[in-house]
Amino acid sequence: MTVRSPVVINAHVLWALMLRESRMAFGTSHWGYLWAILQPSVTLVFLIVIFVLIGRGAPFGESLPLFFTTAILCLEYFGKTSASLMRAFSSNASLFAYPPVNRLDTVIARFLLVSSIHLLIWLVFHSALIATGFGLVPWRSELVIASFLCTGLIGLSVGMLNAVIFSFFSSWQHFERLYSRPLLFLSGTFYVPSMLPPEAVAVIRWNPILHAVELGRMGFYPDYHSELFSAPYLAAVILGLLASALFVERFTRKLRR
Amino acid sequence: MIRFRDLSKSYAGPDGRKTLLDRSNALFEPGRNYAIMGPNGAGKSTVMRLISGAELPSSGVVERAELTSWPLGFHGGFNGTMTGRENAVFVARIYGQDPTPVLAAAEDFAEIGRAIDMPVGSYSTGMKQRLAFGLSLAVRFDSYLIDETISVGDRRFRRKCEKALGDRLRESRVIMISHSETMVRKYCDFGMLLWGGHLYEYDDMKALIRDYRRFCDQPAR
Repeated sequence: MTVRSPVVINAHVLWALMLRESRMAFGTSHWGYLWAILQPSVTLVFLIVIFVLIGRGAPFGESLPLFFTTAILCLEYFGKTSASLMRAFSSNASLFAYPPVNRLDTVIARFLLVSSIHLLIWLVFHSALIATGFGLVPWRSELVIASFLCTGLIGLSVGMLNAVIFSFFSSWQHFERLYSRPLLFLSGTFYVPSMLPPEAVAVIRWNPILHAVELGRMGFYPDYHSELFSAPYLAAVILGLLASALFVERFTRKLRR
Repeated sequence: MIRFRDLSKSYAGPDGRKTLLDRSNALFEPGRNYAIMGPNGAGKSTVMRLISGAELPSSGVVERAELTSWPLGFHGGFNGTMTGRENAVFVARIYGQDPTPVLAAAEDFAEIGRAIDMPVGSYSTGMKQRLAFGLSLAVRFDSYLIDETISVGDRRFRRKCEKALGDRLRESRVIMISHSETMVRKYCDFGMLLWGGHLYEYDDMKALIRDYRRFCDQPAR
């Protein structure tokens, strides 16, 4: 009798799903994975080059590329998770014929895959910046790691909520774009949030991605002081979003089957 | 071992809510071959999906302490854009088995040759069925679920399926839905009659078939 414990089943299924998803996303060659890393990198490099050519100085520190990178890598990672998790149920619909495969597994597998790509992007990007003299070695790397993890967890929760809502209303995909664009301007990409007028700070401080960005900047710059970063707020938002995502998934499970 | 505890299953149909199982308790002991019989529309296929876990109960619990297959011959789980090989390897992995021997056995059984490296979307129905059948025998399930389909393919291939299934059943058991009394007699030694939202257990196939005939002469409640 082959009885696997639920944890072991989960591990088997997640592993199988991740290999399958990477097969589908990157094709059969290793070049596919390289492309997945190259594509957002190229976007970023263009943005940075344009701003350097316009002749703008860095809003903080010596290096404009580093300042941009700390915000844009968070935004890219969040945007990619929240958008790709939305389709986790619909693009894996045929798999639910296999009882070991849970809805939640497909979301988590996708999340792990996207995270692994973005971890690499972060490493490659910052290494490249350091190698070219634009970067800094973080003075408190644990804050940078925390910034990555928080961004990922926000992306996971929002993506899971998206997946559930998308399975009921397919027009949700348009709403998803509504919030992902303004985030570029609300997340401190082009400015130091603490130096904005108080009226503006009062609005943007609700954006949890901004808190993750600020966390990362505090890890890179020893003299970066954030007026608005709040660890309790960030933790509360992540826990709240994650709990509601899991709650909604659990309580609509029978409706969706 | 598969056990239903106070299991209810109902769904909204065109004529209002239909209850297929009403606080049903049943035990499928390990190693025993069960036939599930009952009139059309009583919900036998739903019972099978509840056993496999492909469907969730409305209330109550299914305890499952063994690896159960998908219904034999079912090929709806394949992804059309992926090759036969990739699909087979994926299935082996989710059931926690070594992909290499599973793939080799399934490939060998299905007789689809080099098409194993083609996308499943380009397969004929027969090829998909043969691969799915070979795959379900290659993954070592404890329970094989059979919903009428016991073999696939042409005459020769059907004989091959039945022989392979017979070999597999030395280690595994079947839970089968069938209206064929011959098939039920050939494969099963225990039975469940699904009638009026309950499963009634039989350890005598003669009695099961006698009651099945009697109840099938009446319309399902």
